Formats: sequence, C-alpha cells, structure tokens
Amino acid sequence: MKKTILAFVFFVVPALPNYAETVSDSPEFAKARNQMVRTTIEERGVSDAKVLSAMQTVPRHCFVPKDLLPAAYSDRPLPIGEGQTISQPYVVALMTEILQLQKDQRVLEIGTGSGYQAAVLAQISRHVHSIEIKRKLYEQANKTLKSLGYNTIQIRHGDGYFGWPEAAPFDAIMITAAVDHIPPPLLKQLKEGGRLALPLGNPFSYQNLVLVTKQGNDLIVKQITGVLFVPMTGYALKESSP
Amino acid sequence: MISNSVFLIGFSTLAFEVLLTRIFSISQFNHLSFMVISIALFGFAASGTFLSIVNTGQIGRPRYFSTWKSTAVLIMLYSATTIGSFIILNNLPLDYFRLPVEPVQILYLLAAFVLLALPFFFAGFIVALAYTQRPEKTGLIYFATMCGSALGAIFPVLLLPFFNEGQLVIFSAIIPLIGIPLIPNKAGKNQTTSKHRKTNRILWILAGLAMLFNAIYPLSPYGDWLIRVKPSPYKALSQILQFPDTRIDQTFNNIRGRIDRVTSPYIRFAPGLSLRYMESIMQHEAAFSDGDNQLVFYPSDAQDQYPFSTFTLSYSGYDLCPNAKSVLAILQGGGTAIPCIRASKIKDITIVVENPPLAAMVGQRSGLAVISQPPRAFLAASPRHFDIIHVENWGTSIPGSAALDQNHLFTTEAFRQYLAHLTSEGLIIISRKLLLPPADCLRLWAGAYEGLKMTGARNPGNHLAIIRNWDTFTLLISKQPFLEGARLEKFARDRNFDLVFLPGITAEQANRFNKFDAPFHFVEINRLAAAYLRGEENAYFRSYFLDIRPQSDNRPFPGRHLKWLKITSLYRTLGSRLYALLMSGEIVVSVVFFEALAVSVFLLFLPLFFVRRSAKKPSLPQGLYFFAVGSGFMFIELFFIKKYILLFGDPIISFTVVVAGILIFSSFGGAWSQKKEKSVLKRALPVLIVVLVLTALALNGLMNYLLRFSTIWRYSGAVLILLPIGFLMGLPFPIGMRDLLDTSMQRAYAWSLNGCASILTSIVSAQLAIIFGISLLLGCAIAAYLIVILSWQHM
Repeated sequence: MKKTILAFVFFVVPALPNYAETVSDSPEFAKARNQMVRTTIEERGVSDAKVLSAMQTVPRHCFVPKDLLPAAYSDRPLPIGEGQTISQPYVVALMTEILQLQKDQRVLEIGTGSGYQAAVLAQISRHVHSIEIKRKLYEQANKTLKSLGYNTIQIRHGDGYFGWPEAAPFDAIMITAAVDHIPPPLLKQLKEGGRLALPLGNPFSYQNLVLVTKQGNDLIVKQITGVLFVPMTGYALKESSP
Repeated sequence: MISNSVFLIGFSTLAFEVLLTRIFSISQFNHLSFMVISIALFGFAASGTFLSIVNTGQIGRPRYFSTWKSTAVLIMLYSATTIGSFIILNNLPLDYFRLPVEPVQILYLLAAFVLLALPFFFAGFIVALAYTQRPEKTGLIYFATMCGSALGAIFPVLLLPFFNEGQLVIFSAIIPLIGIPLIPNKAGKNQTTSKHRKTNRILWILAGLAMLFNAIYPLSPYGDWLIRVKPSPYKALSQILQFPDTRIDQTFNNIRGRIDRVTSPYIRFAPGLSLRYMESIMQHEAAFSDGDNQLVFYPSDAQDQYPFSTFTLSYSGYDLCPNAKSVLAILQGGGTAIPCIRASKIKDITIVVENPPLAAMVGQRSGLAVISQPPRAFLAASPRHFDIIHVENWGTSIPGSAALDQNHLFTTEAFRQYLAHLTSEGLIIISRKLLLPPADCLRLWAGAYEGLKMTGARNPGNHLAIIRNWDTFTLLISKQPFLEGARLEKFARDRNFDLVFLPGITAEQANRFNKFDAPFHFVEINRLAAAYLRGEENAYFRSYFLDIRPQSDNRPFPGRHLKWLKITSLYRTLGSRLYALLMSGEIVVSVVFFEALAVSVFLLFLPLFFVRRSAKKPSLPQGLYFFAVGSGFMFIELFFIKKYILLFGDPIISFTVVVAGILIFSSFGGAWSQKKEKSVLKRALPVLIVVLVLTALALNGLMNYLLRFSTIWRYSGAVLILLPIGFLMGLPFPIGMRDLLDTSMQRAYAWSLNGCASILTSIVSAQLAIIFGISLLLGCAIAAYLIVILSWQHM
C-alpha cells in the first residue's frame, strides 16, 4: 500500500524547483567550475580576464534547482522552472565580455531570471541594476543573491521595458528576456558609447548575440555569432559555390 | 450484439486519438507529441500479439475471453485506463527540455508511452476478439468498427466548442460502458444459475462505481484541476500569464485549436522595428493559439498604436505604394499588418483569418470586416485585385520544430496566385524571422522567383527586393520591376535597415547598420540569383548546406531545411549537442521510426516463439497480405489528409474529414463484403489500383477546381472523391480475415500485423512527404496493393 502511494506521488506530484542557495561550495563544484571555464569558455575564445575570473568565482550551482545540481557546470541552458532557463555558461561569458565593463560603470540587466548573470556582472562592476517582471523569479533571485552576499546588486520587480530611469544613463544594458524588438526607452537610457547586448534564438537550439553600440545619433548593430556559428557560415560561404 | 461493443469502442478510441492530438498541441510542441502518440498506438498491435499468444496456449484459455463477463471486464478496463492514463499524463511533470539533465524524465517518458498504450491495448483486444470469435461475421464487425471510428472522429468537432478537451476525454471514455448490457451472454438465460446472477450483479455494481468514480469527480468543479489541459510552461501564453495584471478574458475551443484572448499591459509586439523609433509601444490585447502563436489586436479607436508601424520593415511595401487604394492582409499570427494598413490610410481593406473564433475577435477589435476562410480558397474564389497583399506568418521560435508543418502560403503556386491578384502596380509583402545561416529568406526568394516565372516575368530577379534588420527580413515582390530602387534605399537608410537584395546594390550597402561578420544573406541570394540566370539553380540547391529548395503544393513544408547527408556538420555547428538536434521535427520522426521498428519486430516475432508445432502458423503470403493491406490503407489515408490541407487550410479539419470519410465508406465496403465470396477480390483490387492511378492523374486539377467553391461544396466534393476509394479499401481486410485464414491464432496475428503496418506507415509517410512530396504516398499505396494482389495469388 505504501509503495503504491509513493509511486502515485512520484508520478503525480509535480516536481517543484528547489533551489540550492544553501548548498555551499565544495572542491568538486570548484573543480567543475574550473573545468567549465577552461574548456567551454576560454577555449572557445573568451579571453577577458575579468570575465574569466567572474565565471570562476560565481557558484552557478547555487542558481539551479537542486535536482539539476549534477548538470550545474555543464555547457547547456538549464530549465529552472516556470518555463525559464538559466543561460548556457558560454553565452553568459560572451555576453559579459562584449559589454566591456569597467568597475565603476553602470550596467542594467533586463530579466534577472535566476540571478546568475547579475552575479557575474557584479564581479566586474560595482553598479549592477537588474529588473525582473515575474514575481516568483524576482523573489527567488533576490533571496539567492542576498544569501550569497551580492548586496551591491539592486534588483527591482517591475517592467523592464521602461528601463530604470532613476539610475540612468547606463554604460551597458543587457536584455536577457525574450524580445522581438529592442525597447526604445532602453536605447534612450544608454550613454553615448554605451553598449546593449541581447541573445537571439532559442537557448535549446542555438543562439547568436546582438550588440548595439550608441555613437552619436547612430545605433550600430553587430551580430556576434561566436565560435559556435563559424563552421556553419564558413561552410555556407566556402562550400556552396554553384 | 458484439457489433454494438466494437462500434462503441471504435467510436471512443478515435475520439480519444483526436482529442490526444488536440491535448498535446496545447501542452507540448507538435513534433514532440508525434513521438508519444505514435508509440502509444502500438497498443492496438500489442493486443493482437497477446491474443495470438493466448490462442496458442492451453485449450481452455481462449474460451475464457469469449464470455460475456470477460468482454464486460475488458470494456471497463478500457474505460478506466483511458481516464486514468489521461489524468496521470495531464499531471505528470514530463518536461522534454529536462530530458538530457534529469534522468527521472526518461521514466516519465516511458510512463507516458505505457500509460497511453493501455487504452489502445484494451480497445484493440476487444476488436481482435470479435474477429477471432466470429470470423463468419468479419464484414459486419468491420462495418461496426469503422462506422464507430468515423463517428468518433467527428465527435470532438461537434462538441469542442461546448466542452473542453479533458471533459470530452471523460465522455468518450465512458461511452463504451453503455454497450455492456448489450453484450450477448452465451450461457443463455435458461442456463443462468444463481451464482451467475450474483456475479453479474457484482459486475454491474463495479461498473457503476467505476463510472461514478472515473467520471463524476473529474467533471465536477473540484476535480477540474485533474483534467484541465495547460499549455507548456515554455509557450508564450504561459510566459505572459506570469506578468502582473494579466488575465485570460475569453477561451474558445474548437477542433482547429484553443484560442485564449488575453489582456495585459505588457503585450508589445513589433518585429522588424527600427532602432530609430524612440517611442514606447503599448498594446493591450492578444490572442494565443494553443498557448503560442500570438496575434495582437489593434482597436479601431487606438490611433496612437499605429505610428510605430511606419518604422517597421513591413511598412516598406506601403511606402513604395503611396497611391495604394486596396489591400489584402492574410494573418496567421502577429497582427502588425493592421497598424501598417491603418498608418497607410488605405480604405479598401480585406482581412483573411482562417480560424473562425480568431477571425471574429480580429473583426470585433479592429472594426474591420474579416473573412474566415482558408486563404488559398479565398484567392481561388475571389475575382478581386489588390494593390498590396500582405502575408503575415512569423514561423516558430525553435528552428527545425516546424519541419513537419504544412503551410501552403509560401509555395510557388501560392506566389503565382498572389501575383494573379495584384493590380498592375501591386506589391506583395512577406516578413519573417532572419535565420543564420541564410535559409528561409533564400527559399522564399526562390519561391517568389519561380512564381514570377510562372506568370511570364522576363527577368524575375528585377521584381524582387529584400531588406532586413538584425533579426527580421521583409521580402517584397513587385508586379513591375524595381527599375529604380532609390525610394526603397531611402526608406532603408532612414530607418537603419540594410538592403539584402535589390537590383544594383553593393555588398557595402548590405551590411551597413546591422553588421554580420560578412554580408551572408547578400552573398547567398546573389549567388542564387546568378545561378538562376545561368539555369543552374538546381546545382546551387544541391550544393547548399541546407535544403532551401522552393516548396510546391506537393511539397509544402517551408520549415524543412535539414539535409541528411550534412547532418554531422549540423551536429558540430550546434555545439555537438545531440539534444539540440532533437529540436528538429524531422529528426524526431526518424528516431520514432526506429523505436517503432523495434517495437514492431518484438510484437511480431514474439508470438511465433509460442506456436506449437501442431498449430498452423501464418504463412508468408498471409503475413504479407495483411501487412500490405494495413500499409496501403494508411498510405492512402495520409495522402488525402496531407493533400486536403490545401482545401481546408487546417490539418485537423483535413484529418477529421478524410478519416471520417474513408472509414465510413470502407465500412460500407466491409458490410457489402459480408455476402461476397473471396473471388470478388480478383476484380476489386485491380479496380482499386486503377482508381488510385486516376486519382494521381486527376486530383490536383479537381482540387484546384474545388478551391473556387463555397465551403459546403468544397467539403462535399472532397468527401465524394473518397467514396469509391474508401469503399474498395473496405474489402481486403474483412474478406481476408474470413476466407484467407483458418485459425484464431492466425486472425489475431493478422490483427497485430495490420496494426504494426499502420503505425510504421504513418511514421514513414511523414518523412517521405517532406523529402519527396505528398504524391509519393499514393505511389506507395499503389505498390502496397500490388503486393496484396501478389500475396493473395500465392495463397
């Protein structure tokens, strides 16, 4: 009878995300993190020392559900509940690198999600602002970041479409929420010379990055395809001659 | 009568199958639901395997299943497992995206296969029992099963507007219970002892309790949570419902899909928007189809919502036609065509939205008259010409996931049709997501090029233009050549858009504001254009990394880009992540095929090990006969389902009409066969093949003719075409069961063969159609029935 009930509960009760903010670091996690940085980030072309150090420091395992701990340092996006994902580490590193952040620069993140990206940014910049519109994610991310000691990150529950006017202008803006256009208010809150980055595509398939740079009245958009994409375009351009 | 039971079982299982397809369309993504449903249908074949093993066992055992009690128990088991499996599956935390990282998901997936297979197992067992126990009545049993199935296919169509999917699953599951009192009691009244009466009473009480427990609680408000189908958390609707002040105002269910109308202050949709547009975008209402595919509403009094559209890529077409007076907008999601039209001040507006509730919503909100009809049917019947035709379909967010989706809006025939409805200065606008490497835009450009060639354009390339931003492109197709591109160049320059294709532009102009490492799209489209000019376009298509051949009405799969020979390169490009490959519908179909093959081999070989030496095994010709009958039947069914999507505009409507039509007509054939000798096959099978050949030659013309007619005539004509074929298809199986087989074991095994053949064929057909075209399925059907003839002659 007990086995039947257990089996029923096992199959019927939905698995609730149970975060690992209380899971402390360990030599195994540190080793996995080190390997992640070396093999999936550094070897693929991310060379900024500050970014590599940030990826080395932030405990990604604290930002994933407990039942996904074994995969915390694998180079893949991970579902974190409510249809959300924590981005692939390589994409996080690349996005951070292309922003070219300095310590005293101000950065705004739209879409806090798990809080992992914000934590990485906070390792480099002292002025990180992050907005999350989904309350559950906001509360969880806030809790996780506070418990890890990221007290300099300012997180707000609100509509990121309008940015954070009180803290603007920003040297860098990162949009990690899915968008079909870049919100005009965010472009207004970008400083001259500022950089805005966002990923395109579905995280479970493949992604490219877009970098928008403000130069006077012009906004230059650059597609950062990264090492992942080069074989495809290289093939497409070289091999497909009629 | 046993016929009542098989009729009700047939009704219930097909209704359940149709509802499962609807349920999975909401709760998952289509290609993933294909995986689960295909394997679950093996429950039918497994029942034949089990019965054939039983029939080779001890003498007493087969008789156990011939009693009233056992049939009643089987019906109750079917009913209980249908409801139980649906409820468990609906609440199982199965998440395909967690499969590679959470081992328990594999268990959940296996559980889904097994749970769904159970009801089909019991249903198949009941029907197989009927065939094995009453071989002299196979014609009538076939008639009852097929009739019931045909009506079951229609059941959800009629009732979905009034009940949700979960409620209809419950209803369909309990319907066969009605037939229990009608099952013949072979013991006979006079031989019924008090012990029998007591047993019967207990069974009735159990049946009643089962009904009550299974049905009433889930149907009540307290149990509604068990059966309410929720969209996948990864779908757009689930995402936006997490935002504050967001609510679903209205939900419509019909066979085409579930439409949810949502109000939210956070709805903002503006693909292809220029970075030079500095105002906020505020939209408040949208509809979601099956939890995804958003269509935004623009109220007629919300003038402030239109100006942003003049800064979108799509508006380029309107800017090029400042004197346009009439526009046709075909909306399959998005909705940004409407603000473009409003901003252009065009007064003569025709909007076509296929889905009736969605069309009503768009009309109500926009204050415009909206036509609810398949767009190609509308164009076939309409004599009108328009200055602008704006086709809005944004595709899916996961590349590859739409590989199996049929869409007739982007075929070469569609482009020819659009051009035929343009005024002399008219223009077609199509905007889509920009993919890397270039794929979709190349295919659409080529499709438009060939459409222009069909209309006699001398240099089709001069009638085409493409502009883009960082993630969207717009293809413009002009009736007149773009002899001077200055206006479009200015439009692009003023909005920081890049030109991709326009006669006379340079590579520098193609990569100015939205920079790639190289102007990939410009380079490839110009290569393709040069190939067309040299007459070497086929060589280009063959050598290109992806499949970008323009699609036709025979091969209308615009989302299909995979080339199997290049799969290792694709795998490396996706970061050597096997899982990313499984986002492709085509790869999922192939994986499912091998799974299905393994299951089939197991189900078909297992009974042979249990056959005693003295028992008569099915011969090879007998096996081939029933396998080919099942295969041929399914090839024909799928051929028509896929072909008729052009007529009806929707795959589920097409499925319902074709399945109901073929099953009804084949049931008539089965009933007619009851009084006929097996020699009738000598004429019937060749006649069927001749009819299939004539269908292959005449169907396209017939369909183009039917497209011009009103809905009722289109449906009637489509069904009538199925009549002779369906009738003839209804002969081989019942006659074979009755006259070509001798033992119960052989009949049960034939049932299993037939079931395995049907499932394997349905899976392989999906792949054949997208690679070679839908017509090949009819060729395969002809080949299958030739095998039927040959194997029959060798018996």
